[in-house]
Amino acid sequence: MLEQIIKSYNEAIFDTDREQALHVIHSAITQGVSPEDVIFKIVIPAIEQMVKSISEDFDANLAQHFMTAQIAAEVTEEMLAHFSKPPQVIGRVVIGTAEGDLHSLGKRIVMGCLKAQMIEVTDLGVNVPAERFVAEAVAHGARVIGISAMMAHTARGENGCLRVRQLLQERGLEGKIKIIVGGAPFRFDHELYRTVQADAWAEDGISAGKIITDLIREVQP
Amino acid sequence: MITGMERLVAAINGGVSDRIPVFCNLIDQGAKELGMPLKEYYADGAHVAEAQLRMRERYGHDNVWSLFYVGKEAELLGCRKIRYAEDGPPNVEDYVIKVYDDIAVLRIPTDLNAHPAFREELKCLQILKREVGGKYPICAYVTSTMTLPALLMGMDKWLELLLCGPPDLRDALLTKCHEFFVKEMTAYRDAGADVLVYSNPFGSTDTVSMNYFHDHSLPWIERDIKAVGTAGIVYYCGTSRFNRVIDSVLKRTGIGVYYLSPLDDLVEGKKIIAGRGLTCGVINDMKLIDWTREEIRAEVRRLIEAGMPGGKFLFGTGVMPYQIPEENIRTMLEAAYEYGSYEKQGS
Repeated sequence: MLEQIIKSYNEAIFDTDREQALHVIHSAITQGVSPEDVIFKIVIPAIEQMVKSISEDFDANLAQHFMTAQIAAEVTEEMLAHFSKPPQVIGRVVIGTAEGDLHSLGKRIVMGCLKAQMIEVTDLGVNVPAERFVAEAVAHGARVIGISAMMAHTARGENGCLRVRQLLQERGLEGKIKIIVGGAPFRFDHELYRTVQADAWAEDGISAGKIITDLIREVQP
Repeated sequence: MITGMERLVAAINGGVSDRIPVFCNLIDQGAKELGMPLKEYYADGAHVAEAQLRMRERYGHDNVWSLFYVGKEAELLGCRKIRYAEDGPPNVEDYVIKVYDDIAVLRIPTDLNAHPAFREELKCLQILKREVGGKYPICAYVTSTMTLPALLMGMDKWLELLLCGPPDLRDALLTKCHEFFVKEMTAYRDAGADVLVYSNPFGSTDTVSMNYFHDHSLPWIERDIKAVGTAGIVYYCGTSRFNRVIDSVLKRTGIGVYYLSPLDDLVEGKKIIAGRGLTCGVINDMKLIDWTREEIRAEVRRLIEAGMPGGKFLFGTGVMPYQIPEENIRTMLEAAYEYGSYEKQGS
């Protein structure tokens, strides 16, 4: 039964059919699938399947990434209320767009995926100063700072990732907090994340979820 | 002396001139050229025209631009706040559509030419037409119907409405955007633009699936192009890849120029176009910021050797980042003139 549900859910995701995806989930609940299994056996594997498709250069695209994350976030929120016991939070992340950058799509996709994976995400919004990235990361006990930048000047600028790195260095936080970057400039220059002194980069919002999970594990005390 | 227009026309017709046409899209660099901040630069169409003419003269490429920044289209539709940077493109800061109710009251200007936000673009076009009209292609940038809502409400909100509905609201917005698209395209043509870059990331399989493209994107592309005709139209997906849809677009719309993504396989793209149109091979200009002289020359050579055989080829850039050193721009262009020379090939 579960196998068929997973297949139907994945098909709906790939067809960017939100209504069908939600229908599959609600039918699963009616059929007795637990809220925990919905998240851990249907929603998260669907994200992992999308990551696999991307790595195999399959027909995965922005609309599918968006829909996967959007539905994952919606279903997670709905299911969490019905968990038999509160889920264990894997880690905490703060995320925002670099100073001067107002493009919010990438971070929204990342956030949707992270929530489903039991990672607590604080959305700092757009046009976030470097000082705020660091202050909020410290305040929330975040292991990872996610910086999205869609333009060359916000990706490479002195007030973006470079400044966040400088602040982490000055405050002796480098071993405790990692930086991940993403956005168009990084897709066109795969070494750019090193230039701006990030620890990692992600090709897209869906893959970012996996990389961020790995980074959290790296810095877990 | 052979002009950029002659090179372009020769390439489109499958003929040869002295070299392949080379398009270099220098936009924000105009402010640097005139030594002024971007906000001051974009406040006056005469600045933009002067800088375009000076840069073309200095670097020797084949095109000039009437584009200020993409957010201009949002200003024409009511955006009142643009965020300026010191070293990058201005961006829409205040979305015209904040809630779905705003769609019903979105007003398409009756006459773009009378719109204050269009005045400076018109001034720019008039100067360009007077100075280089007929000699160097004058480019204009027009966002497609399906992509324009992203400028009005943000890409994530637009994806949400597009994919999740409500469908009647989505269609109402698209219908208004189409009306604007037709007016804008007509206004640019009337003002003297020769090359009309039809920008549509939703026409790329990096953005939507092939099924979605055929069911939704392509019908809107057809409607756009049917309304304005194919003259001067360039299919461009904002650096997203589109090799897989070229054949459908060509057959269904008749668009004759394809400005590929730097991430597209150029050889494959040209093979798909198969002489039915002009193939534009585009360099990854994000890498131009850091590449060495040798790396730039090698990449230009690779692209030209892949695209030039058989003709009907143009070498181009994306929207060049402000951070690219002047020396690298010059190196890229000199390499393009050298490797793209027909005279050298013939000798």
